Amino acid sequence: MVSAVSSDNSADRAALIHREVIQLAVLVFIAVGAFFVTKAVAANNRNLSMRNADEWYQRGEQLAEAGRLDQAVDAFRRAMVRNRTNRTYLLALSRALAQKRDYESARTVLLTVRASEPEDAEVNLELARVSAARQDVTEALRFFRDALYAPWRPDQGERRRAIRLELIRFLLTHDQASRAQAELVAASVDSPDDVAHHLELADLFNQAGDGHNALAHFQRVLRLAPENVAALLGAGRAAFDLGEYPLARRYLREVPSDVDAAREIREVADQVVSRDPIAGRIGARERHRRLEANLTYLQQRLVDCNAQHGQSVSGGRYALQNDLQSFRERLRRSPTLDQDTIEAGVDLIDRTERDAIASCGSSTAVDRALVLIAKQHGAASQ
Amino acid sequence: VTTPETARQLRLREHQLFLILSIVVGVLAGLSAVLFTVAIEQASYRLFGLAPSRARLFAVPPILSLVTGVLLARFFPDVRGSGVPQTEAAYRLEGGAIPGRVPIGKFITGVLCIGSGHSMGREGPSVQIGAGLASVVGRWLRLPPRRIRELVPVGAAGALAAAFNTPVAAVLFALEEIIGDMNAALLGSAVVASVASVIVERSILGNEPLFHVPAYRLVHPAELLAYAALGVIGGLISLLFTKVLLGLRALCLRLPSRSRILQSAVGGLIIGALLVFNPAVMGVGYEYVDQALNGGLLLKTMVLLCFLKLGATIVSYVSGNAGGIFAPSLYIGAMAGGAAGMIVRQVAPFPTADPGAYALVGMGTLFAGIIRAPMTSVFMIFEITQDYQILVPLMVANMLSFVISRRYQPVSVYHALLHQDGIHLPLPGTQAAASGRTARQIMRTRILPISPELSTEQAWQQIVDRDEPGYLVGTADHLFGVVTREQLAEWRTIGKSTDRIGSLVNRHFVHVHPDHPLDIVLDRLSEARGVLPVVSRADATRVEGVVTADSLLAARANRSADA
Repeated sequence: MVSAVSSDNSADRAALIHREVIQLAVLVFIAVGAFFVTKAVAANNRNLSMRNADEWYQRGEQLAEAGRLDQAVDAFRRAMVRNRTNRTYLLALSRALAQKRDYESARTVLLTVRASEPEDAEVNLELARVSAARQDVTEALRFFRDALYAPWRPDQGERRRAIRLELIRFLLTHDQASRAQAELVAASVDSPDDVAHHLELADLFNQAGDGHNALAHFQRVLRLAPENVAALLGAGRAAFDLGEYPLARRYLREVPSDVDAAREIREVADQVVSRDPIAGRIGARERHRRLEANLTYLQQRLVDCNAQHGQSVSGGRYALQNDLQSFRERLRRSPTLDQDTIEAGVDLIDRTERDAIASCGSSTAVDRALVLIAKQHGAASQ
Repeated sequence: VTTPETARQLRLREHQLFLILSIVVGVLAGLSAVLFTVAIEQASYRLFGLAPSRARLFAVPPILSLVTGVLLARFFPDVRGSGVPQTEAAYRLEGGAIPGRVPIGKFITGVLCIGSGHSMGREGPSVQIGAGLASVVGRWLRLPPRRIRELVPVGAAGALAAAFNTPVAAVLFALEEIIGDMNAALLGSAVVASVASVIVERSILGNEPLFHVPAYRLVHPAELLAYAALGVIGGLISLLFTKVLLGLRALCLRLPSRSRILQSAVGGLIIGALLVFNPAVMGVGYEYVDQALNGGLLLKTMVLLCFLKLGATIVSYVSGNAGGIFAPSLYIGAMAGGAAGMIVRQVAPFPTADPGAYALVGMGTLFAGIIRAPMTSVFMIFEITQDYQILVPLMVANMLSFVISRRYQPVSVYHALLHQDGIHLPLPGTQAAASGRTARQIMRTRILPISPELSTEQAWQQIVDRDEPGYLVGTADHLFGVVTREQLAEWRTIGKSTDRIGSLVNRHFVHVHPDHPLDIVLDRLSEARGVLPVVSRADATRVEGVVTADSLLAARANRSADA
């Protein structure tokens, strides 16, 4: 640097520069000292800011609990401004906004964080919930998946499983049963082998329409706790839905008699098992008897139905009655039945039940059992 | 005796040392900006606490304004307001000389004013503090005037870089506003200081952008029309802000100088009342800007805050407090933009971005319209948010706002503020032409002004035998105006013979500065009815000479004789 003393002599200039180097060194020393002082002051200020942020957060929580959501949002925002790196504040803010049904703002807040932390499971989960509330199924699914496949620590398996179950419930409520089944299979793999988890999975499999897996999980529960009523009932229902009526009856009979939910289905299962003419491991006589009994019951049902409603007999109904009568006579004539005759009988049962239900409405356990029998054996009218 | 080679090495070493000095100045400026920010936050917390009562909101600003009013009137008269125009004037007119009391005074009064709730920004004061420190360092090192002058924008860039965490915008601002030349040779030093400052700032406060903003983008091409409309709105609000600010400040300046302390206190009182009504206009207010950028405010809230902040900032500024207008311009812009974004979202027949995107662009438009640094504005928004997706809409809106603001308010707010203080900065054209013949070489330095205390009749008697078209009224150190022979004759005939001439003369007179080139001198001379005062740039009432037709001819004759 050229000194203020205007000198053309380079020797003087050299001396001056030497002096300036010393001055610069002093300046650097001052700057370093100032740096540490400023750093200490700033750290102190940062701590104060953190404390203030926490105080605002606590207030926000209290306000949110009291239902004062506008003020809660304001408090959470103040907390966030003072400590931007704290995800708890941010998530609290987004939840408060979502509670206010201000889903757009909640989403904006969460997307801001996601921009810097795209793999944050909690943020993605909150985003998924907000998207679900906004009825944006595609986006919700994307964020649920991002949350699910975020880098989880080994000790966070339970949390991850809970998110998967939340995703499954979301899929079920949005008619995405096949996707839900796929997630359920994945959930089964990393699920702990205990009663509560198997019951939960079994219930979800049931809702997803996967009776086999539902039954398997109920059975797993029964192996762990043979007298678990929920599992007995669930297994009975699952087996019933799968057409495994003897199995269903077995489970349902184990359910205490005071459980109303089991009573009706147990009756129907009993009727199916005792009335099915095509059931395996029964003799020809029994097959004949069951068919005969079913047709007799239906003949009487049509009579009752006509009497109950005072209806004049229609052409179709008349034909059905004739068919029933002629089929019964046919049974009387031939004590042994071939397969075609039995199937024709089941088909007639099905047609008659449908007609009776259509005109007379409510049906008994026997009626429901007969419909199920026909359905199970693929009656011609199906 | 040294050889030419040694001399060359010494010169090289001199440049290297200046570069090192730029780094040190950048570090010091950055530290001062960080300390200033922290001190304001602490002051605000100590004065108001976390959730202040109404009484406290009302009482703190006037009490503290009274204190700062005394400090500003008695000890630090040159640190009122932003600090950017003063820095500019120091660089362009004073050879970069900024007294040591300026950075100290600005720090103290800035912390008290902004911390006590005045609606002002911390960036302008940071610029003045950084530039002041640079000037002090330069003088301590006994640098030549040229080098001291060069250090001023270097310190300013360093301080702004740390205050905003925006190294590029800070360099651009130093070039665009302080130096007034985007091709300045000081670019290297400003960059070095800015980078050093930001490194220091980030190592202390962390690398957090000033605002956290989602990744906004242009959702539909037609949205550019909405952004253009926002640019127009931004330009109009900038105009409103600038005009009202300058108008009210001119009124306040006309009041007796002994009322300055009272003016500060009254300003504080109004701010106290505003804070009771809505505390969101307090201080810098970046937390509300953050909310607007993230879609956290309602339409009516943003409209209200836009105008409240505008009014509060004007009150704080014109009442003579210490604080800047950077932050308020960003605040007002964010609120105006956010509100515009909400309306666009409701009425536009095409998909639009979140209102936060409009708030972001709105910040830029107000900055471009008020501060008049469009390049700085674009880069500042980019750096503050670290998001370049919105760059095109930002440029469109900024340019429109800038053009509208400049069309209806040709002089930028900083230059106009200096003008009100009697400081006339040279325009870039003037600087370029100054290498040719200027008013200094043409003017006559022998001046015979008429005393303003004389009556019209007495003045007439004094000039009746002189054969000049016009006369200066006042003293050499305080020019009141210019009066013509015809004006004096007219005042005598309409019954103003006994009136003081100082009270009759028009104080807005045509003048030039010593560095004005010949063509401007000739233009102004034709408007000036034959007598054109040449006044100092640093004090427009101090006469340095006078240009008349005769002095022009005399200068011409002298030149011919020299040739």
